[in-house]
Amino acid sequence: MTATSDAHGQLRSGLWHTINERYPGSMITKSDDVPLASVRKPLRECRLTFVSTAGVQLKGSVPFDTVHPIGDYTFRRVPSSARPADLEIHQIKFPTVGAHRDLNVIFPIERLQELVAEGALGGLTASFFTFIGYNMDPDRVERDLAVRIADAVVEDQADIALMCPA
Amino acid sequence: MSVRYLKAALASGEAEKLIRFVRLHLGDGDEGVGRREIDKAWIRALELLLDVPATDRDFVLTTVREKDPATLAHLFFQLHFFLVRHSGEWIHDGDL
Repeated sequence: MTATSDAHGQLRSGLWHTINERYPGSMITKSDDVPLASVRKPLRECRLTFVSTAGVQLKGSVPFDTVHPIGDYTFRRVPSSARPADLEIHQIKFPTVGAHRDLNVIFPIERLQELVAEGALGGLTASFFTFIGYNMDPDRVERDLAVRIADAVVEDQADIALMCPA
Repeated sequence: MSVRYLKAALASGEAEKLIRFVRLHLGDGDEGVGRREIDKAWIRALELLLDVPATDRDFVLTTVREKDPATLAHLFFQLHFFLVRHSGEWIHDGDL
């Protein structure tokens, strides 16, 4: 726990109260703990995947459901070879002005492609994985959505994962 | 859990908790904004019908008759966002 954490271990003091005030009951306390896995080989030999809540998806795919009051528990595969021009964002809960100027600020696909080209990373999985963060049923996220994404990540033979909330 | 919170509120008849949740969703976390957004959608719907334009009533009746209640409830939320966008004043940060 850092000096700025509150009793729940949140890094931003007061964040817990703010979110529970705005989205009642949506913040949960986890008593169990999943230990981080160790990286077993150098990054230059690792295949990386990227999991993001930014709501980024291929143009023309079914838009994330941003209107549903309880959320959208689907995910999209985004080809790791995609260009920003191939992609769009369906999300109404965070400012997207900056991302529309440069998608990499929230979905750093070109930076990751560059790291592979430079040899800093061994490669990228065929797909990256995205969903939206507005999900009011954390149980469903944990026991359904997260499991399906984890299975897809394993199927894509990822060695390491970059996980980024929007 | 939020769903548990909502189900408990529903079971105990705490309507204010339920409508507050809807206002917060439609107002992106601001209840006052959500209240105005609901009003805005209804005002836009009324405005579109003021001159009694021809509408596809058969589509409306068929949809309500043939679709399940959950799909219609989902459509209700979709129509809210359609109407607020159609009003010309979009307060949300991103896109549907």
